[in-house]
Amino acid sequence: MKQIVTYATSLVILLVLWQAASLVVNAIYPSTPLPGPYQAFSQVVKNFQELQRHFLASAARLLVAMLISLALAVPLGLLIGHERTLDRFVSPMIYITYPIPQVAFILFLFLLFGTGNATKVAIVALVLFFQILVSAQGAARNLSPEHLTSVRSAGATRWQVYRHVVFPAALPSILTSVRVSIGMGMAFLYIAETTARLGTGLGMYIKSRMLVSRDSAFAGIVAMAILGLFLYVAIDVVEHILCRWKYTGSRSR
Amino acid sequence: MIDANALTIDHGRGGHAVRAVDGIGFCLEKGRSLAFIGPSGCGKTSILFAIAGLLSPSAGSVRVGGQPVTGPRREIALILQNAGLLPWKTVWQNANLSLLLAGEYPGHHAGPILDELGLGSVRDRFPAELSEGMKRRVGIARALSTAPEALLMDEPLASLDTLTRERIQDLFLTLWRERRFSLILVTHDIEEAAFLGQEIVVLTERPAKVKATVPNEEMGSLDYRQSEGFRRTAARLREVLEQ
Repeated sequence: MKQIVTYATSLVILLVLWQAASLVVNAIYPSTPLPGPYQAFSQVVKNFQELQRHFLASAARLLVAMLISLALAVPLGLLIGHERTLDRFVSPMIYITYPIPQVAFILFLFLLFGTGNATKVAIVALVLFFQILVSAQGAARNLSPEHLTSVRSAGATRWQVYRHVVFPAALPSILTSVRVSIGMGMAFLYIAETTARLGTGLGMYIKSRMLVSRDSAFAGIVAMAILGLFLYVAIDVVEHILCRWKYTGSRSR
Repeated sequence: MIDANALTIDHGRGGHAVRAVDGIGFCLEKGRSLAFIGPSGCGKTSILFAIAGLLSPSAGSVRVGGQPVTGPRREIALILQNAGLLPWKTVWQNANLSLLLAGEYPGHHAGPILDELGLGSVRDRFPAELSEGMKRRVGIARALSTAPEALLMDEPLASLDTLTRERIQDLFLTLWRERRFSLILVTHDIEEAAFLGQEIVVLTERPAKVKATVPNEEMGSLDYRQSEGFRRTAARLREVLEQ
């Protein structure tokens, strides 16, 4: 309940700031007005069906990209982090490729996969992949020796060590990295969606409206914010379920 | 029976190897208890890890039931310094972990031992929600869940307050007498060694060698702490350690 009140207060403050910014911009640059919250939200209502279509297209791409990158980066990151020999050989490759801005590959991906969903999903998955890989690797590298000894002394197989120690110990870091990279993933999705000439997605919706109907373009930005918030909350919920132990305090002494 | 002959353990390899244990020998008959005492960092834990099959000796041998130790085995349980509980598992899951890893859970489970140790009501709690004493008891429940023939303990009561420590020492003693497992304890605490060890091996600074073996056959009762025998053993241990 307390959290809902905090969120609601923050939202009100943001809307007030937005309205203020809109008034200031409109006073200084009357030829390029910045729509206020009222204009944007009324356009959300007015264009609801069309927005919904684009919203769902973007959401689906983000989710699929997230699942693909998780499925690839988590096992690989945990393996590299936990197996020292593998770490020695693979880590230099990661450190060399990690700083390359993945967006640099976007035109190549369009040539490779065409302008459809595959490219848009691939570019977001590529961004998320590296973020998740690096944090899974780091977490698997810094396990508590006591936890490992504890299961090894009971005769755990290699798989059991991953299942009972490496994965659960790294999970909070993995989920944090997913949460942190949502913003980046959305930015890259926007770029991918607007680079294509046609198609669905909030990026395309915003781009096509910005020059003709600014109010409805901002309705698209509001929809993007809602999508981001939805993903943040979803990951929070997943974390509270999967990492319940992190949220328990010292209840009994 | 657990016995070691000229047990030597090095950490690292080649020119970087550091000797932790240097030619230790001992023999523990089934159902008896043996305590190793020595200064912190002297290599005591390495001896325990070699018996548990987590470390291979560089020279010499360690055998359980006449067989050389080649890896962890079901009949030997290890209790670590901070109980070794996994924070992401509940009390129930932690206590059943050894059985689960051995493929015996849920056919066998730790329910009875949890109840016996008074942990039945906190089964669904996570370690972070427990007091230190309760955590140690969960560690004991996990170790005893597989009904081991030998229990190895690596400073199991470090960082506990005196009263809790004595209460858990009493619990160890009671369980050891009831269940007749062999007990090997590694500690730097003189009173703990004197209370729980039928025989106490005093080790030197690293690399650990046997400095003296102190017999302590009178131990075994809960009021031993108040006895003359206990004071004598403790004084003898202190004297040897200070030499």
